[in-house]
Amino acid sequence: MSGSPPAAIETAALAKRFGAKAALHDLTLTVPRGEIFGFLGPNGAGKTTAVKLLLGLARPTSGTATVLGAPLGDRETRRKIGYLPELFRYQEWLPAREVLAFHARLIGIPHARRKAAIADALDGVGLGDRRGDLVGTFSKGMQQRLGLAIALLGEPDLVFLDEPTSALDPVGRHDVRAIIEGLAARGAAVFLNSHLLTEVERVCRRVAVVDRGAVVAQGSIDQMLGTRSIVRLRVDGLGARGRAVLERFGTVTQDGAWYAIDGARDADVPDLVAALVGADVRIHAVESTRATLEERFLQLLVPADGVARDRVA
Amino acid sequence: MLAIAWLSLRETASRRFAWIVAIGTALAVGLSTWGFVKLGASVQPRAAAAGLEAGLVIFLGFSFSVVLAIGAAFVAAPAIAGEVERGIVLAVLPRPISRTAYVFGKWLGTSALVAAYALVAGALELSAIDVSTGYLPPRPFLALAYLVAEALAMLTLALSLGTRLPAIASGILALALFGAGWLAGIAGAIARSLGNAAILHATTVVGLIVPTDVLWRGAVFALEPAMFLVAQDDLGSGASRNPFAVAAPPTTAFLVWTALWFVAVLGIGVANFARRDV
Repeated sequence: MSGSPPAAIETAALAKRFGAKAALHDLTLTVPRGEIFGFLGPNGAGKTTAVKLLLGLARPTSGTATVLGAPLGDRETRRKIGYLPELFRYQEWLPAREVLAFHARLIGIPHARRKAAIADALDGVGLGDRRGDLVGTFSKGMQQRLGLAIALLGEPDLVFLDEPTSALDPVGRHDVRAIIEGLAARGAAVFLNSHLLTEVERVCRRVAVVDRGAVVAQGSIDQMLGTRSIVRLRVDGLGARGRAVLERFGTVTQDGAWYAIDGARDADVPDLVAALVGADVRIHAVESTRATLEERFLQLLVPADGVARDRVA
Repeated sequence: MLAIAWLSLRETASRRFAWIVAIGTALAVGLSTWGFVKLGASVQPRAAAAGLEAGLVIFLGFSFSVVLAIGAAFVAAPAIAGEVERGIVLAVLPRPISRTAYVFGKWLGTSALVAAYALVAGALELSAIDVSTGYLPPRPFLALAYLVAEALAMLTLALSLGTRLPAIASGILALALFGAGWLAGIAGAIARSLGNAAILHATTVVGLIVPTDVLWRGAVFALEPAMFLVAQDDLGSGASRNPFAVAAPPTTAFLVWTALWFVAVLGIGVANFARRDV
C-alpha cells in the first residue's frame, strides 16, 4: 500500500437506472482529500442521484466507487461523513439541540464530549441562542443552518452539501462560504452541489460538470476556465474602421454600448486602445476579464445555436 | 437501534393526538364504568347481573380491540413511510446505522408505546369495573396479552407495508387485511357448522395470513366465564358462528405460527427496506 491516503471520492463509470431511464450512466471522477469540489450541472443532470449513491442511500446499477477509501455504504466510513440534503427536513417536534444529540448518538460521539460538540456545531451556524427552540418554529433558512450544523457535527472528513444556500439570505450565504473554507482549512473535503456558479467559482478549487448523467468536464477552476480571456469596451462612434480594429484582436460580440472581444488578452489592451483612438473611436471604459465559470458552463451545455438541449433522456 | 426506538417512541407520544387518546380513554373508562354500575343495579338476581356484565366486558373488549388495531395501524404506517416521504431519512440513514437497526428501532419504539397503552388502558378499564361492580373476568391478564398481541400484529403489518408503500396506503391496506381476517373468522365458523370444507380451508388460510382474528378469539376465551362455556357446550358447534363466543383458546401450534408470523412479516419489511433506494 502506498503511504498517501486514498482520495476522498473516487468513482469509475458509476451508473444508476430507474427502470428504462438512466439517471446516471457514466460518473467518473476523483475528489482529492481536503479539497472543495464543485459538482455542477443543469436540473435533472443526475447530481442528487450521484450524491445518494455516494452516501449509500441508493444502490448503483453498475460501476465502482470508493468514499474515503472504503466501498460505498461502508458503515464505519459513514461516521466520518456529513451530509446536508437539498430537501432538508428534521424532526420538527424536537428542540434543535436534541436533533443534534440524536445525530451525535448515531455517530458515536462519546457522551462526555456530546454537549460541547453540539454547542460548537450550533454556534458555528449562528443558532447558538436558538438551541432550545423547537425545529418546527424555525424559518426555512434556519432549518438549513440546522442541517449544516448536523452535517458538520463530529468533525467529518468529507461533507456533502447539496445546494447549501438555497434558503439563505446574502448574509447566510457569506457565512456558509466561510464555513466551507473553514472545513477545507482543517483538511476536510467538501463536495458542493450548487447552481450558484459565482459561489462555486469563489470557493471551489476543482469542479466537475455533469450533464444527462455523465461527467462532461472536470478539472481545477483554472483548467476549466483556461487561458481564454475577454476584453470588454464601452465606446461610441465605432464605425466600420473601429469595428475592423476590434476584429483584429478577436471575436466581437455587442451588448448595447458594450463590445466584448473574445480572445483579446490583457497585454493587448494598450495597443487596442491606441488603435481605436487612431480610428476616432471615443472610449468610455475598458476591462480585461477571464471567462467566468457561468460562461464556461453555458458553453459546455448550450450548443452554438443558443438553444438549450432537450433535457429529457 | 435504541436511539431510533427512543426517538420513535417520543415522537408518537409527543404528538397532540396522544393527549386526545389519553382524554378519550379516561372518558371511555369513566362512562363505561358508570354504565356497568347502572345496568348491574337494574338486574336481579345478582347471578343474572354477572352474566350481563361478562357479556358486556366481551363487547367492550371487542370495541377496545378494534380501536387498538386502528390505532396501531395509525401509529405504525407512517413510522417509516412518513419519514421517507418527508425526507427525514435522508439525514438519518447516511449515519453509521444499518437499515435493519432502523426498522427494528422503529418497530421497538412504536410497539413499546402501543403495548404500554393497551396494558394500561385495559387494566384501568377492568379494574374500574371490578371496583365498581365486583366483576372480574376469569383470566384478565391472558385477555390483555391477547389484545396486545393482536395490536402488535396490526402494528407489525402496517410498519412492514410502510417499508415499501406510502403511509396512507400501508395504513389502509393493513386495516383492510384486519377486516378480511375478522370476516374470514365468521365465515370459517359458519363453514364449520355447515360442514363446507372448501370455505373452511380458505378462511383458515386467511386466518394464518392475518392472525388478528384468532388472537381476538383468544382474548374472548380468556374473558368468558365458566357459565358461557357451559352454555356453548349445550348449544353445540353453532355457538362458534358468533365472534363473541369461543369454545376453546388458540392452539399452541397457532401461537407458534403467530410468533413465526411476526418474525417473517418484520423480516420482509427489513429485507424490503434494505434494498430500497430513498
